[in-house]
Formats: sequence, C-alpha cells, structure tokens
Amino acid sequence: MFFSFLLCLFFTSLAYGSDYRERLLLRPLPHGALLASFNFQSNASSTSFEQQNFRYFPRSLGQILQHTHTKELHLRFSLGRWDAEAWGARPWNGAREGGTGVELWAWVEAASDKEANARWLTLTNALSGLFCASLNFIDSTRTIRPVMTFEPEGSHPPNALGNLHLLHGNLPHEVVCTENLTPFLKLLPCKGKAGISSLFDGHKLFDASWQTMAIDVRPVCTGDGSECVLEMEQTVDMVLDIERSKRPRDNPIPRPAPIEDIRCDESKFYNSHDSCMPLAKSTEPAWSLQDVFGRQISGACPLSDANDAERVICVNAVPERTFEIRSGAAQRVAEQVAPDMRCTALPSGPEEGLDFDLLFSDQPLTPPVNLTRPRLHAFRSMTGHGQERGGIEAVLRNPLSQPVSLVYMESLPWFMKPYLHTLNVAVSGNGNRDFQALKETYYRPAVDRERGTHIELLLEIPASSTLTLSYDFDKAILRYTEYPPDANRGFDVAPAVIRLLPNAADIASTSADERQKGVYLRTTDLLLPLPTPDFSMPYNVIILTSTVMALGFGSIFNLLVRRFVAADEVEGATLRARIAGLKERFRSKLQSIWARHSGKGEKDQ
Amino acid sequence: MFLLRELLAEIRIATAILGLRHDPRLLKLPPYLSALCILVGTVWLLLLPLNEYSRQTYVSENALLPGQVHTYFGGSEHNIFRAYRHEVHALEHKSAEERTEKFVELLKDCGLKVGRQKYEYSSAGNTVSGENVYAVLQGPRADATEAIVLIGAWRNMDNVINYSGVALVLTLARYFKRWSLWSKDIIFLLPFDSASGSQAWVDAYHDAHDPLHVQPLSIKSGALQGAIAVDYPAGPWGHRFEKLHIVYDGVNGQLPNLDLFNTAVNIASGQMGIGTTLQRMWHHSDSYRDRLMTMLRGMLSQGLGHVSGPHSAFIPYHVDAITVQTVGDGWHDEMSLGRTVESLCRSLNNLLEHLHQSFFFYLLMQANRFVSIGTYLPSAMIIAANFTITSIVLWVQSGRPAAPSKVASTSNSEKEKAKEPDLTIVKEGRNVALVPAAAFEVIERHLFLPVGFIATVHFLGLLPLYVFNTAPQATLKASFTIFTILTLVLPHAFSQALARIPPQPPTPQQITLIQSFSLLLLGLFLSALATLNFSLSLMIGLLSTPFSFVRPSKSPILVGLMNLLLAAMAPPVVMGGIAWWFGKDVGELLAQASFGWHVWGMWTQVVIWLVWWPAWVTASVVAIGALY
Repeated sequence: MFFSFLLCLFFTSLAYGSDYRERLLLRPLPHGALLASFNFQSNASSTSFEQQNFRYFPRSLGQILQHTHTKELHLRFSLGRWDAEAWGARPWNGAREGGTGVELWAWVEAASDKEANARWLTLTNALSGLFCASLNFIDSTRTIRPVMTFEPEGSHPPNALGNLHLLHGNLPHEVVCTENLTPFLKLLPCKGKAGISSLFDGHKLFDASWQTMAIDVRPVCTGDGSECVLEMEQTVDMVLDIERSKRPRDNPIPRPAPIEDIRCDESKFYNSHDSCMPLAKSTEPAWSLQDVFGRQISGACPLSDANDAERVICVNAVPERTFEIRSGAAQRVAEQVAPDMRCTALPSGPEEGLDFDLLFSDQPLTPPVNLTRPRLHAFRSMTGHGQERGGIEAVLRNPLSQPVSLVYMESLPWFMKPYLHTLNVAVSGNGNRDFQALKETYYRPAVDRERGTHIELLLEIPASSTLTLSYDFDKAILRYTEYPPDANRGFDVAPAVIRLLPNAADIASTSADERQKGVYLRTTDLLLPLPTPDFSMPYNVIILTSTVMALGFGSIFNLLVRRFVAADEVEGATLRARIAGLKERFRSKLQSIWARHSGKGEKDQ
Repeated sequence: MFLLRELLAEIRIATAILGLRHDPRLLKLPPYLSALCILVGTVWLLLLPLNEYSRQTYVSENALLPGQVHTYFGGSEHNIFRAYRHEVHALEHKSAEERTEKFVELLKDCGLKVGRQKYEYSSAGNTVSGENVYAVLQGPRADATEAIVLIGAWRNMDNVINYSGVALVLTLARYFKRWSLWSKDIIFLLPFDSASGSQAWVDAYHDAHDPLHVQPLSIKSGALQGAIAVDYPAGPWGHRFEKLHIVYDGVNGQLPNLDLFNTAVNIASGQMGIGTTLQRMWHHSDSYRDRLMTMLRGMLSQGLGHVSGPHSAFIPYHVDAITVQTVGDGWHDEMSLGRTVESLCRSLNNLLEHLHQSFFFYLLMQANRFVSIGTYLPSAMIIAANFTITSIVLWVQSGRPAAPSKVASTSNSEKEKAKEPDLTIVKEGRNVALVPAAAFEVIERHLFLPVGFIATVHFLGLLPLYVFNTAPQATLKASFTIFTILTLVLPHAFSQALARIPPQPPTPQQITLIQSFSLLLLGLFLSALATLNFSLSLMIGLLSTPFSFVRPSKSPILVGLMNLLLAAMAPPVVMGGIAWWFGKDVGELLAQASFGWHVWGMWTQVVIWLVWWPAWVTASVVAIGALY
C-alpha cells in the first residue's frame, strides 16, 4: 500500500501542465529479477488537437482517433506472466497491462450501435496498420461491450457520455515482438534516440520474463472542466532476469560454469573433487544498465519538461543496496526521496557528456524491498479432456483479512459453448458454506460465427477465503476452412479480466486518479483443443471414392441401360444385309461427292 | 462385340451364383471358409515382420528436428548430478514425509514453483498411498498454455528405487531453469511410485480424479504436450549402461504418437550413439525371429492393457509419453542419458502443434521398423469375420427344414425313401414344373429361448467381473479356483436345465440359433475391439476359434473330445495356464487386474468376462447339449 502511495506521488504529479515527460522506475525483485517500468506522457490541449496542431501527440495516432471519433483508447501488448507470489502486486495496480497477446478497448462516439461498430472496425484496421499487429482480426466474434468491468478513465463531458460506446476486443494468439516495438517507439517525441527510451532494445525487451506495452489516450480536464488536454500515456513494464540479460549477445548459451567458479557446500559429507552441491547465492549480482539493457542512456530527451527533470530515473530498493551513477564526466548522487526510493536526473547538455549508466556492484545479500501484497490471486484452468466437452475452473484467492468485491469478465470464442446452468460459484473457508458470492450476472450468449459469449459476474469473496468458479462447455465442430494452419495446436481463449472494486478503505487512501484507473488482474490464456479433422484425409477419401464411383457406377449404369440381345436375333445381322448396308453407304458417299462437284460447277457458271 | 460377350459372360456368372444359392454344396463350404479366415489371419500376422510388409520408421513432424541441437548438459553439471544422487540416496531410509520435504526443498532451491499431492487408492483390500512432488518451470517464452512433463518416479515398475533417475530430473530442473528458450512450461514430476503416482497426478491435472482419494493440484500449467519418464535405478556410485530401453505401452493398449518414439530412438542412436531396444528384447539381431518376437511381446503387452511405466497413465489423456530405461552394462554414463533427455525436451519444445502427424496405431518390431494399422488390422478383422460367417450360415441353416437326418437313418429302406423327396407341381401361366415340396415349406424360427439364453449367459458374466474386482486379495485365489470349477460345470448344468425345464427340450433349430447369436455377438465385439485394441481382439479371436467349429453331436466320443478341447480353452483355465507359465500367482495376477480396474481404468476384464467367457459357455452348451 505504501509503495502504491509513493507511486501515485510520483506519477500523478505529471497529470497536468507540461507537455511531455518520462519516467523510469527500477525495482530489484527477489531471485535476481528486475522490474523496469517506463512511462511516457505526451499531452495536447484539446483545442490544438481539434485544429490538428500536433506537437508531442503523434499525428498518426491523433488522426486515427479523430477519424474514428474515438474519445478514449487503451491498447495493450503483453507477453509472459506476472509472478505475484515472488514479485508482489502488479505495477500500476494492473491498470496498465493487458492479457497475453493484444487487447484493445475504446470509447467511440456514435449515434447508434451500428455506427459504433463501423467506427470500431475502422479503428482496429487503422491501428493494425500503425502497430504492425493483426488487430484487424478483431471482428464481431471477438468484440464485446463490457458492462461493469471498465469505466472511462478520462473526464468526458456528461452530455457526451450517452453517445459513447465501449467496445473491447482481444487477440490472445498474437505474438508480440520487435515489429510492434518499432512503431511504439516512433510515437515518442525522442523516438528512442535520447532519454530513457534509448534503453529499448528488442532483443532484451522480448527476452523478459514478463513484458507489457500499453498506450492509453484519455481526455483530462481541470476541476471546472474549462480547460482540457488529451493525454497520451505510453507504458512499458517488464521483469528481466538479470543473470539472463547479462549474457552477451554473441554468447547467449548458458553453458555449465567451470567447476572452479561454483561455490560448493563443503559441509556436505559427499563433497569432493567430483561431487558438488552448489551453495545458494549469498550476494546480490552486479549489474548496470549497459549489462541488462545492452545500451546506456544517451542523455535526457531534450523535449521533456525541464521542471520535471530531477526525478526521471528512480530506483526502488533498500538503502543498503548501493549503486554508482556514471553520468558523462559529471558526478551525480541520487536523491533520497523516500526510504526505499532514490531518484536521479539524466545529463541534459553536451558539456558534461551524454552517456548515463547506473552501476550496481556485487555486494552481500540485502533484504528485499517491501513489496505490496497482491489483493487477489487468480488462476484459471481447463478441466476435463476429450474433444467433445470441457470445463473451466477459475480459482480466486483473497489473501487479505477483508472481503473483496470484484467483477469477473470472460469473452469466449463462439465455438466454445458454455452452459450457464452449470455455472457454479463455491467459496471455501470456514463459515462460508452458505455465503452467496455471486451478486450479479451479465450474460450475452454467443451466435455461431457472429459473436462470442460475454459473461460478467459481480462476485464477493469473504476475508481469507478462496472462491472457485466453474462451468462446463461444449466444443463446436468447425467447418474445415475455418481451421487455422496450426489447427492441432488448439485455439486460444482470451484471459479473464478481473476488476477489483474499491472498498471504503481504498477510497480513503488512494487518489482520485488512481481510483479512476482501477485495480485489474488478468488470468493466463487457455488453449482449447477442438475436434480437428485429419487434413490429409479428404484427398485420400476423394481419390478413393471417385475411383469406386467411376468403376462401380459406370459398369452398373451400363448394365442397366443397355438392352442385351443375342447376336442372331439382331435384325439385319445376316451377311447379305451387311453387304447391302455397305453398298448403301458406298452409294451415299459417291452421291455426296458428285453433289459437291456439281455444286462447284454451278458456282463457276 | 467383345464387350457384349464379356457382359454376357458376367450375366451367366451372376445366374450361376444365384443358382448356387440353393446348392446344398454351398452350405458345406462355410466351415472351410471359416478355417481359411483363421489361417489367413494367422499367416498374415506372421508375414508382418518381413521387409516387404513392414516399414522403416521416419519422423513425420518437421517441427521436432530430433538431434539437431547441441546439448550442453555436462561439465560441472556432472558434479552437481553426483551431489544430487548422494542427496537422493540418503533419503532411502527416511520416512516418506521427510523425503517429500527434501524434494520440495531441493526443487524450491532451483527457483521453481513446487506443489505436493497426496493420494490413496484401495483395491482388492490393499491400500496404496503416497505423495507426489512436482515443480513447474515457467518457460520464459511460454504463456502458460502448453507444458511438457519430465518424470522421475521414486520407485520404478520393478519396485526398485530410482536413485539416479530422480537425481537426474532434479539436476535437469536446475539446469533447464537457466535457459531462456523454453516456449512451453516444464513440469518436473517426482511420483511416489510408477504404477499409481503418475496416475493420481495426471487425473488431478485434468480434474478427472476422485476427490475422496486424490488431492487436487495446487498449481497447474497449460495443456500437456508430452511426457518423458526417466528410469535409471543406479545407486550413489553410478552404473554405466549399455542401451536405452524405450517403453511406450499405455493403459488398454493405447500407444503414444510414433513420432515421439522415433524422436527418442533418433536422438539416442543418432546423436548420442546409444543403442535402443524395446519390449525387453535385450539382444536383437534383426532376424525374422527377433522381429516376430518383439512384435508378439508388444502385442502381449498391448493386449493385457496394463501399465508399463510411469508414462502409461498419460496416454489415455492424449498426452504422448514414453519411459526411457537404462539396461545392461556398457560405457554410457548418466551425462549421456541427461543429454538425451535434454535433446528430447528441446525437440518437444520445438513443437508448434500437438503431436498428430505420425501413427497412433502401430506394431513395432525393432527400434526402426514398424507396421501401421492399415497393414496389420486385416489379420484381426479376418479372424473376427470367421465368427460372423459361421453365424450367418447357422442362421440360414436354422431357417431350412431339418435335412433328412443322417443320424436317424439306419436302415436301407429308409435311405431309399429319403432319396425320393416329396414333389409338388407348380404352375405359372402355361409352364408347369415339379419342385421339391421342401422348397416351399415355411420354417418358423423360435427365437425366445435362444435370445433369452444368450442374454442370461452374458448377464452372468457380470458375476466374475464384480467378484474379481471387489474381493480382497486373500480370497482371490480361492474364489478363482471355485470359479474355474463352476465354469467347467456350468455348461453341463445349463444343458441339464434346458433339457428338463418345460415345455420341451430345445430343438436342434434352437441350439443352432443359440450358437448363431453367440458367434454373431463375438464377431461383432471382436471386430469393433480390433480398431481399439488390436492385440486383445486378436488374442481373444484366436482363443475362440474352436467356437466356430463346435456342432451338436450325439456321438459320445466326439462330444467328449470337444468337451475336453473346450475345457482346455476355458477362460479361467487359460488364465491359470498363463499365470503358471510366467511363474506368477493367480491371486497376485487378479489383484493386479483389480488394481488396474480401479486405478488405471483398465477394461481387459470386461472383454474377458463379458465377451469371451459367455461365448465359451455357449459353445460348450452347444457341444454337449445333445447328450442330455
């Protein structure tokens, strides 16, 4: 809780005023992991935006938003899993991350549902081109209109809210890669050439254990609503394995270390020249930005707000963990802004040299930084086996000593047909036998090949209990052209989105901005195996049946339609008749030749 | 003209065939046809090991790329492996609880998520309980949708402690953690024993477990793509092995995708230079004899449908799995085995789709030779067809007037009389013909008794199925002896009852119908079973062949001979014989079968007691019925 308070202290301060600012938070995590959280904010006043006068706000994106009447946009690219047990609560309370693959939701202004759908289609197609992602595959079967899960983050005029349509789509199978990073960088004013964005290297970024890129566009107004800005926030969060990231790019293979480099546990009875039980690590690994990201920071982004330059890079670690700042030629000391937080600025002028690095040295193990405990653990898995039916089981565990209310949303593909009557919500834990956890259900059934199932459940989990949600489903049989090329892999089912509703204590302790962003959690993808035909079979079957048909049908048809007569019964089968026939033919031929001749003669005359 | 002549010839043949329908010779043919089916089926099977009928194996799935990667498991990992082996060996005399704790600790030290699972099964009055430990390595490139399982059971199928196997899995867990290339999660599973531990785990993974006996899993990953079990029971000082024995049989004769087996063979022999063997054929000279032997052993194992290693439990869930077992004395050490497993995991990690390309139905006769279902299936089908042919013939026979009885006729005058059948005059328009009256006689088939009898006998099959699956082990042997005697007496009792029970003893037609229905069912079951478990169908088919040729007879000598032959082929007698041949106790065998029924979901018993046993009882009743 304390940490999130700190975070909001740092990041909410940038809500208004300046036009562009950037932030990097580094937090060493247990087991040699490192959280790097990048945040970029570019603002455009709504008047300049409407006049198409773009300065920090990227024109390419701005024009798309204008064309499609999109008032608020959230786009996520994610990879991997957040390990809540080891790494604590999610950065930004999960409000700046998406499910595995690509997730997109937006508030589109439109007079009718039909118009909203058309604009949404335009939006997804335009974004698809802009971000080199298959966003254009978000069609009606993957689009839903969430009811309870999302609320607008921006401040929209109350009279416009009626015309705003929330549409949500996801592509769980989309693999996020460097091709998506490049367009992301291009939207930044410094385009990865200076500032913290110069650390982005596709190889390191996508070697992370968990990684998410987010783009959020929302209107932010002052208290009286007189002055509005359009705020674009670009966020990249990742958890790197320091040891893995430190491996040089030309030799990335983790070969077994030479035995001399391994510290053996000499207390073991078997310890000898050929047996060695390695000791657990007792030192913090040494690392620098150069080691971990493969690059140094090349100075501050000159376009960023000068008033805000002091706290661009912050390290969230215990004070015992020491590091050295190498900032060109100049000496810098990190400013202690909170017990566990030290911040520093980036070199801004060529006079002191632009290269900036943080050097963490090898030192005895320090106590880990106090991590916020997550408020909910969620795990979803597929139950059952076989190709006909299956089940989904989601286990939501509330570790805290106060009840938690949440909205659980699932968007299922149409070929997965859930049975709502099998939906079962059970709460385990003492005294919860008769607890009614399910408060509200919103369900929109699927229509084959047109739209998917949309389920939203309002749930409450009592203190320190576990809620198990389960339902059964049938698997549809697809038409054979509907299968993707890797049909036997199975079909991805999008992660469930869980929104934790604020309780009274949260409302008191968090800022309005944070409350608006909400607290989110997403489960992992699921792989749904569907009955898959043997795709080489049709050819064999077609060839075989055609042959059988040709042979069998041909001869039977022949037998049926022919009339069989004995040779001697045939009229005119005698020798004389045959000779007569031949004579006749000969004569007719002669006649025709003669006729042609005489015809020619006539013409000549 | 030529065509016409040919067609006329065809028509002539067709008429000839139609005419043959009434030919009495035709009815004499089927027994020979049945015998021919059995002969062809058997010879077909014996031809399979020949080069002309079997094929060289090949890797069908391109993504597997077996043996295409460098393996780095070696160097200091060897020292670490030895340390783990000492650790594992030190656990030998510890309690199960302490051992589990230690495994959890070792896996947690590797930085993995660890889960535990208790289970308790009871069958035949025995209770098997244990605790599995497993750890999930979350692949850096994975999104929790797919997973590979690496298994090291504490005890292998021979109940020997698998020291080096467990140590190898632990070392590999530590080693794999460093790699960033895993695109699937890797689950390291240390089951308590081979026969039930992995079964409990995989059941719970798919939520198909009985929560009363098996704990659910606390952590899970995605869909399982493959499983590899390591069986290397060498003690703390190691043991150099000669070959790798690849075990691939699943429960109920289900097999893993042939690609997985091929990948293992390819990696072991191609990349590592380790010989591979299968079906306990320690020495395989690639001769016809050895190939046939391998194939028959494979068929026996498949037909019995029992678990052959910790991997077997995975196969019913469509997770392809094998066990890699070390055999013999040679010069390959644990690191070679480790590199083989590493390479196998890398190959599985390469998979883009679930293994589906290659064969799921095959018979292996050597590590690199197989026959696929298209080639071997006809043999079991032809044998099953022999019952259907006989059954149809018996049905036709039952609809005909009883032939002028050969048995009853004794005197010459009667024979003379028999040669002059009753004739009737048939008129159609202006045509008049003399036709035997028998051709117009309408015979009614009395179905009630045959259908009732068949239903009763099949229903009675539930009795041994129930008794042998629920009785405690101590009583199994005694109940088996009693049941054997009962089985041998039962046909006599049935015949007595049929003869005594009013209104009248069964007519020959009813006896024929009883046999017809019994054989019809047998043919039906066996041909359906052949597509599921070829070997079991073939074995039951071959053991049932006499049932096609049994006919009621009044000659006591013939009946005695038939009875003797059938008694020797009685299911319990055959089972007892097999147990004796392999030097096993029948009680123990039945206890194992009962364990299989309760834990593995094995249904070999169902086929034996509900298909084979009723068919035998019916055949025996048919054979001796005429005496009563």
